[in-house]
Amino acid sequence: MRIRVDKDLCQGHGACVEEAPAVFALDSEKRLVVLNEHPDESLRAAVRAAVKYCPTRALRLEED
Amino acid sequence: MNASLLSGGWPLLGHLQELRKHPIELFWRVREECGEIGELNFAGNRVVLLTGVEAQEAFFRATDEQLDQAAAYPFMTPVFGRGVVFDATPEQRKQGLRNQSLRDSFMRGHAEVIARETERMMAKLGDAGELDLLDFFSELTMYTSSSCLIGKQFREELTPEYFKVFYELEKGTDALAYVNPYLPLPVFRARDRARRRMVELLTGVFERRARSGAASGEKRELFDVLLSIKNPDGTPRFPVDQITGMFISMMFAGHHTTSGTAAWTLIELLRNPEFGRRVVTELDSLYADGGEVSHQALREIPELENAIKEALRLHPPLILLMRKVVYDFEYKDWVVPAGKLVGVSPAVSNRMPECFPDPDRYDPDRYREGREEDAQLFAWIPFGAGRHRCVGAAFAMMQLKAIFSTLLREYSFELAQPAESYRNDHSKMVVQLAKPCRVRYRRRVRAAEST
Repeated sequence: MRIRVDKDLCQGHGACVEEAPAVFALDSEKRLVVLNEHPDESLRAAVRAAVKYCPTRALRLEED
Repeated sequence: MNASLLSGGWPLLGHLQELRKHPIELFWRVREECGEIGELNFAGNRVVLLTGVEAQEAFFRATDEQLDQAAAYPFMTPVFGRGVVFDATPEQRKQGLRNQSLRDSFMRGHAEVIARETERMMAKLGDAGELDLLDFFSELTMYTSSSCLIGKQFREELTPEYFKVFYELEKGTDALAYVNPYLPLPVFRARDRARRRMVELLTGVFERRARSGAASGEKRELFDVLLSIKNPDGTPRFPVDQITGMFISMMFAGHHTTSGTAAWTLIELLRNPEFGRRVVTELDSLYADGGEVSHQALREIPELENAIKEALRLHPPLILLMRKVVYDFEYKDWVVPAGKLVGVSPAVSNRMPECFPDPDRYDPDRYREGREEDAQLFAWIPFGAGRHRCVGAAFAMMQLKAIFSTLLREYSFELAQPAESYRNDHSKMVVQLAKPCRVRYRRRVRAAEST
């Protein structure tokens, strides 16, 4: 799977960081950093939750 | 090429009177007559209205440097006061999110506050009676917003007079401000009187807090800190007038919006009793084992959430979002030159039949898995979209879930007037529920107690 971020939409709420801290982080300017664009299958549930709970719906999960 | 001008404008005023009487019909007329882009004239202010998913996406994706939000709402300046910004830049907003009360980690505490405030309002209701939806939810959301965003002690200073004064301020947003926001008209005089009264009320609050020592002790809150900041010459950095402006602007975004949505959620559930029953059944079973509202309101309550979303779709609290064009805005073959305004109407967008089948029908099931009509980011736009999407959206949803979790388990409601008589008052730029808007209530007999 592959993570896509729509940077026009992200406001840096950090909900994804709460859901999947192994995949997402915020830098010191509260900008989203994707730590791993191709996360391991074991993280699928967490990534799906991050996509679902993003308050601005800026995340998408694509299949490779 | 330029967008074509909508027909029917008056000399000088243009479409202003139509905007003040039937704004939503006016916006639809643009779409029908001019297509996805058409121009309106508000007393010399040219507003190019964009409709349809594609044009709206271009609007929402434009940068701040190109489309400026702050300059687009002249009717707000006298409400907030000069020197108080309408909205922060996206960078400041992110900054705000970092330190501030809208952050995810504060939500649980907020949910607890909201449940308690709803209980305090319910304590005044008694076993049965009739209430005015506008008054009830305006008062409640005034308490919840001030407690969550400003401070718990500050909230205790508020009385029902505050929401009445606030209502006067909201009513002062007449579109005649496009001619001049300081015209000597009764509506603007009442607005300015209300603002002066708000300054008086807050001055009293701060004097009391200074006398009691609360303003300087460990318990000091946001405004106490701001008031204590001094210029090099010893005068206060933020005079009370400016603090009042901050208070008004902080409360504004979350007040008429949330209170109107709460009212419409309830009205629609009563007009559509099948969905009303589903929501109550869902809440009863969710809380059957004594769960706390502060916990549950942060989690999924699907039937209730869908009911709230559908109320938002049909009755969006903001019906026109605007930006000022800083440098020429191009869309397909059209150019909107710098200096004009561009706008998008959530009231039109949320009912576009190509995105929302049977658009006028109340149907919370359109958000269920498989349909998810709210996933159309640039069509389902009660909270706007893109950079300026409402930063309080998650807070608002949580707040509404906490309010109804508390209210609907304790009381049952019924319409106190014909179902079709509930409507919004669109004569001001801030949309309010039109009075009368009354419902009857009765304390529920809980199943466990009745057996």
